Amino acid sequence: MVRLQPDPFLNELTSMFERTTEHGSVWVTLKHSSDKSKAQRNKMKTAGENLEFKCLIRATDGKKNISTMVGAKDHQRFQASYAILLKARLTALKKRERKDKRKATDSDKKMDISKKKSAAAKAST
Amino acid sequence: MVYITSWDDFVERSVQLFRADPEKTRYVMKYRHSDGKLVLKVTDDKECIKFKTDQAQDAKKMEKLNNIFFTLMSRGPDADISEVGGKEQMEAQAPKKGRGRKQ
Repeated sequence: MVRLQPDPFLNELTSMFERTTEHGSVWVTLKHSSDKSKAQRNKMKTAGENLEFKCLIRATDGKKNISTMVGAKDHQRFQASYAILLKARLTALKKRERKDKRKATDSDKKMDISKKKSAAAKAST
Repeated sequence: MVYITSWDDFVERSVQLFRADPEKTRYVMKYRHSDGKLVLKVTDDKECIKFKTDQAQDAKKMEKLNNIFFTLMSRGPDADISEVGGKEQMEAQAPKKGRGRKQ
């Protein structure tokens, strides 16, 4: 697990997304973490010290692991860049909503036409 | 492991799960470009809830959930998230209009 600063982390995450466009997946994990071992945590608890929690972000493509930490001060900036990155990379998802609407209106029209035709046929007989 | 079909249920239950055990709960996003699939998972290793989708509109909803979890995890489980989703989205949308990018 390679610990990176937030900006290099985002760059590396981008190249992970690029590497997995043809095959493979990317996992991104968010976790509330104090970044201390359990022994350290227990020591601090017994000493009555306050643990500082941050958000640990890990990412992997199954081959390489990277991670970064963001705290209360910098999480907003990070999440904004992360959102932009995701928007640019999650392009294989379907935009079905519009198509469905079009199809629905098309089939409605066809239905109307066929109804009219059958009505006309009935009237002529 | 349960796949939840309703997005709102998923958000509500995942936040509940996190607040119940903040130190153990993790939130994982898996994206598979070749299949165009996105799976979200929240687990504390006892309970596990998942949400899967192939819809682009769900990715926008996920952005909101990301914001919720970033806030909860970096500010602590007691952080106020009632305004996070909406506010952040508004902020994220505003600069886009400025740059002239339209979808």
